Amino acid sequence: MHDNTRRKIVLPSWALALIVIFAVWEAISVSGIVPSSQLPPLHQVLLALVQLAGSPFFLSHVGQSLANVTAGVSIALVLVLPLALLVGLRSQFDQALTPIIMLVGALPDLAILTLLVTVIGKGNVAAVTISAFSAFFPIYFTVRQGVKDIPVDYFHVASVFKAGRIQTFTKMVMPSISPSLLTGLRLSFEFSWNVLLAVEIIASVAGIGSFISNSLGGTAHSLTYGLAAILTVGMITIGMDRAFFGRFENRMKRWH
Amino acid sequence: MTKVYEDPPERVTALKDISFHVNEGEFLCIVGPSGCGKSTLLRMIAGLDHPSSGQIRFRGDLLTAPHSKISMVFQSFALLPWRTVVQNVEFGLEIQGKPKKEREAVAMRLLEMVGLRGSENLYPKQLSGGMKQRVGIARALATDPEVVLMDEAFSAIDEFTAEALREEVSEIHKETKKTFLLVTHNLPEAIELADRILVLSSRPAKVKSIVGVDLERPRTSTDSEFITIHKDIFGLLQAELENSIMRHRLSELQEFKKLRDMEER
Repeated sequence: MHDNTRRKIVLPSWALALIVIFAVWEAISVSGIVPSSQLPPLHQVLLALVQLAGSPFFLSHVGQSLANVTAGVSIALVLVLPLALLVGLRSQFDQALTPIIMLVGALPDLAILTLLVTVIGKGNVAAVTISAFSAFFPIYFTVRQGVKDIPVDYFHVASVFKAGRIQTFTKMVMPSISPSLLTGLRLSFEFSWNVLLAVEIIASVAGIGSFISNSLGGTAHSLTYGLAAILTVGMITIGMDRAFFGRFENRMKRWH
Repeated sequence: MTKVYEDPPERVTALKDISFHVNEGEFLCIVGPSGCGKSTLLRMIAGLDHPSSGQIRFRGDLLTAPHSKISMVFQSFALLPWRTVVQNVEFGLEIQGKPKKEREAVAMRLLEMVGLRGSENLYPKQLSGGMKQRVGIARALATDPEVVLMDEAFSAIDEFTAEALREEVSEIHKETKKTFLLVTHNLPEAIELADRILVLSSRPAKVKSIVGVDLERPRTSTDSEFITIHKDIFGLLQAELENSIMRHRLSELQEFKKLRDMEER
């Protein structure tokens, strides 16, 4: 008979690895191998994390960063989606535009940001613009490919059943490209979020980036709070990805 | 009707002076050497492609775009993967703006007919090839067309399943009295289903012959009359292929061998 009384609790392997890493971190710092001024013990960082989570000042910075990245990705989406659909459907536009877009995409984001700041000045406009810039390319290339990959017979189905342009778009093209669009958005968010910290520092706008840079320049416990803020960034990244994109992905997995 | 493809400097005449008439309610099969343009012909009737010269008429009206009374079943099934079985069947009715209740009623009745009752909420990726094509057939019937076009509809399905599906299609044809046009490279399949068989020549395709199949249904391929018809049409195709070979066309030589192998089997 199966023994139900003894339940084994099995931790996922990533959790075990994390525990080991954290234990090593704590040990190195507490034992003094690395002085705590260079590597604060983990428990202090975690404590700082809890404090930050209750600090309206910090939370407003987090909110500002999230607002900037959301605005950037949204602007990119609105601009790039029609363009990516156009080049995906009409190869003459693809041949004309894609090489140029590839060229622009190869320019380093941060160099452009520096230029942008000298031209339009510091502030949220620069931050959002660069966030949109870095979000532009993943959406463009994934959606373009997604449109190209639509089987020609799907268009035939739409035609045979006499779907008009709008119906073909809403009932056939959009659902067809939804997995690519999701991938594009996911990558865009990641790209955008990654450059955002630097953006905030260079454009001197409020956000997690400036919070970290300010706290690192500060007093005795500054490093602890800086690390706590960086951990927060990581957790937000994973959390957003799981909560938002993961949910859509799961829904798509039913058919995709 | 003639179809010329131009991709300068290339100029390929796919169909040349094709002319034929389809009777209401008949099952017409179109056979011909592969690459002869029989699928192009069907696509033009579906309104997905246009003849270079000549015209296609449906009940006297010139066909220049897809017609609501002409529906199609695809070799690739072409089910929309994000839609469930029943949603796929409803597609044409949804485009027409029919209310949900009505769509569902029609779709469920057709799913019952093709033996997919109970699978209505599955997604295409969960279906076998044979089941997918049943959905394809139900979808084509949902808009209550007068003509159902089938482009190699049984070619991507394993032979046992295809045989069962052919019998069902034959049954559906008998019950619904709709006109069916099936393009196929499978000669026994054509003889099993057709009232008449349109034999096309190799490229540029012309109507080589129209063969009436006046056998009782259900038909068996071991029946002596069946074999006679098979021989006759095969002879036509073989002559056609031998012509091509004389014109030194290697690709069709291979096709000839393939057909001969099929004959021997």
